Amino acid sequence: MGTESLTFAVTHRTTLRYSADVSLSYNEVRLRPRDRGLQRTLNFSLVTTPGAVPRSRVDYFGNYVHRVDVAVPHRELNLLVDVVMENGEPRRRRLPEWPAGALAEDSRLEYALPSPRVPLQESTRLLWREWNGEDRSFDAVLATTQRIPAEFKYVRGATTVESSIDDLLAGGAGVCQDFTHLFLALLRGAGWPARYVSGYLGPLGVETVFDGQSHAWVEVCGADGRWVGLDPTQGKYAGAEHLRLAVGRDYGDVAPHHGLFYGKARGLPPEVSVHITKMSHQQVLVVERGSAMHWQQEQQQQGASAGRPRSASTRPSA
Amino acid sequence: MAKRQTTLPATADECVDARGTARKPYRGVLDAVTSDRRGLATIAQATQAWFVDRGVTFGVPAGGSAPIFPFDPIPRVLSPSEWRTIHRAISQRAMALDHFVSDCYGAQRALRNGVVPARLVYSSTGYLRDLVGVGPPRSTWCHVAGIDVVRVDGSFRVLEDNVRVPSGVAYALEARLALESLAPRWFETSAVRRIDDYTKRLRDILQRIAPRPWEAEIVVLTPGPYNAAYYEHKMLAEKMGATLVEGRELIVSEDEVYRLDGEGEVHRVDVIYSRVTCEWLDPLVFQRDSLLGAPGIIEAWRRGYVAIANAPGTGVADDKAIYPYVPAMIRYYLGEEPLFDNVPTYDLSDPVQLAHVVANLAGMVLKPVDASGGYGIHFGRLMGGAERPEFVETIRAAPRQWLAQEEVELSRAVCLRADGELDARAVDLRPFVLLDERPWIFPGGLTRVAANSEELVVNSSQGGGSKDTWVLSR
Repeated sequence: MGTESLTFAVTHRTTLRYSADVSLSYNEVRLRPRDRGLQRTLNFSLVTTPGAVPRSRVDYFGNYVHRVDVAVPHRELNLLVDVVMENGEPRRRRLPEWPAGALAEDSRLEYALPSPRVPLQESTRLLWREWNGEDRSFDAVLATTQRIPAEFKYVRGATTVESSIDDLLAGGAGVCQDFTHLFLALLRGAGWPARYVSGYLGPLGVETVFDGQSHAWVEVCGADGRWVGLDPTQGKYAGAEHLRLAVGRDYGDVAPHHGLFYGKARGLPPEVSVHITKMSHQQVLVVERGSAMHWQQEQQQQGASAGRPRSASTRPSA
Repeated sequence: MAKRQTTLPATADECVDARGTARKPYRGVLDAVTSDRRGLATIAQATQAWFVDRGVTFGVPAGGSAPIFPFDPIPRVLSPSEWRTIHRAISQRAMALDHFVSDCYGAQRALRNGVVPARLVYSSTGYLRDLVGVGPPRSTWCHVAGIDVVRVDGSFRVLEDNVRVPSGVAYALEARLALESLAPRWFETSAVRRIDDYTKRLRDILQRIAPRPWEAEIVVLTPGPYNAAYYEHKMLAEKMGATLVEGRELIVSEDEVYRLDGEGEVHRVDVIYSRVTCEWLDPLVFQRDSLLGAPGIIEAWRRGYVAIANAPGTGVADDKAIYPYVPAMIRYYLGEEPLFDNVPTYDLSDPVQLAHVVANLAGMVLKPVDASGGYGIHFGRLMGGAERPEFVETIRAAPRQWLAQEEVELSRAVCLRADGELDARAVDLRPFVLLDERPWIFPGGLTRVAANSEELVVNSSQGGGSKDTWVLSR
């Protein structure tokens, strides 16, 4: 693969529904990607219906969080995200192992400890030993990346968003979230700091429209402090088509939405759709020109507002 | 006067010396107590009635009303020099803990430098990741701290640090009020320092951290009448001229917090004196199913539109697994030697210490790290032969969940039994520190006594009671 970058347009629609009108809802949304490595966001918008002004902050893990408060009665809340991202093919780096004890006073220790959805238990320790023996090297990490999709079946609907690692081990089937949680437990049990990545999987073919899904994979950190993406669903390094949205210790830290509402209603299952388009060079130019035009408009507006104080000085002086 | 022959219990080492006579600070009051046993009985009854009348309760209402906080009329007395020692040691401790909380949500220097194991902080349920990088007003986190002090073999030690929602101050204040009005003559025997400006000092601190100090609207946030310390929440709100609220009376709009009153009016809130554990404060950020707080409070605090005391996040210093490292924190942050030692304590997530505890289980007390009020405590000494290996398995399976302390014998004070006799019961002392730029501690604190002379735990939740605590000015 060359170093040429790919550009994707993602449209991510979320519809939250309630069984009756709610008078007020508070929502935290993690849907804006942060630029990291070769990935760059060219354009982002979040539009809500009913209308609200999202306010953003950056969370502990470096993810953007938007707070959306809706203070008019509503039975449905739509979140429409349009984002254009550019990503390059990351180098397939090999990571040095952590020497014994080196993590103890390092902040990355946090990613080697159990987290709410990734408990460190005997079952996953045994599984690592069964697959790799006492080998905890990066070779064993890569072998495990390939081993997971070989041993477990990818079956949509086999698990739910709340399923545990034990559910996957018992049922033998799951989706990317389950594979990722299992891989995290295996890595952490073997002393590797590893984090959960949520994002999208872009199409690799030319200009394909993809009725896409959210995807999840793992980033593992070496003793040199570098993070490398590994996809335990596909059994390979994360590539240019792996578009990162958020990172955290496990799914609980990166969930795209959670919210609360006032009212005598139940929350109904949300509807989510993701469309991903790989853009041609021409389309990319349009996006870039679009932002250039926007910039020009801003300049003009600022020029206009700069004129205001002058008009004030036309008052007759006393 | 035949009544003067009353002998004091010899094991009451807080009050009597080796020869069985009252220690100097106790001389005046014990003289008054023992010279008039009938008077003592009357005072005991009267104080009981006083607590019932004023509704001073601790505990969850069962069948309509909450239990009265048991009260022993014979005061606990501390000499001026004992108090100076306690005051200095506790101030030091509270400041170090505050530095630690601030560090955890800042640069984490202590973790980088190996002063406190990073694994304990990162695995603490009190470490709230959403608060990292936030600075509370005036850079204080632990505005109120309650440090439990015990006396073991004649020297003071710290048993526990409470910097999350320390409770008990109202019982100390009530105890004084009761004794002052019902046993005024006892106060003539000794020069007792006053404690009545605590609530004013607390209010001052709350006002100083308010975003609009000139018209600070202060609320006391309580989990509600089903909380054991509800009486205290009510009393503090009253004395401070603040409004007592429950989470459902608060609403957040555009990052400002409002209180809804009964008439449908809304009032902007500047300061929340929160008696709700911070993990329950904001369902949007922490416990998703919590009904005790209000969604959006944390973001309002993060942006500085509302002040909260204690600041959210102090639970990381309240985690019992962190306690063994407090002396190291004192050396690290303050560059001083700790004035009070810990009770010997073992961090069970360290294999070496775990092995030591398992080998010496009979002399250990095991506490769950995230419980308070004396719940879940196990005494190795009291475990049967079959029970011990079973318990060892429990702690081996979840060493991070437990803390082991050597069982120590607490000093004892003279108490009045229900049958009118005197006995000696284990006591501790919880002084309350108010922290702004400098710590302020009211002279005394809450002295807790065990329920009887056999009981080793003094927790109020375990049937223990309290005493008035006197600090003498000379």
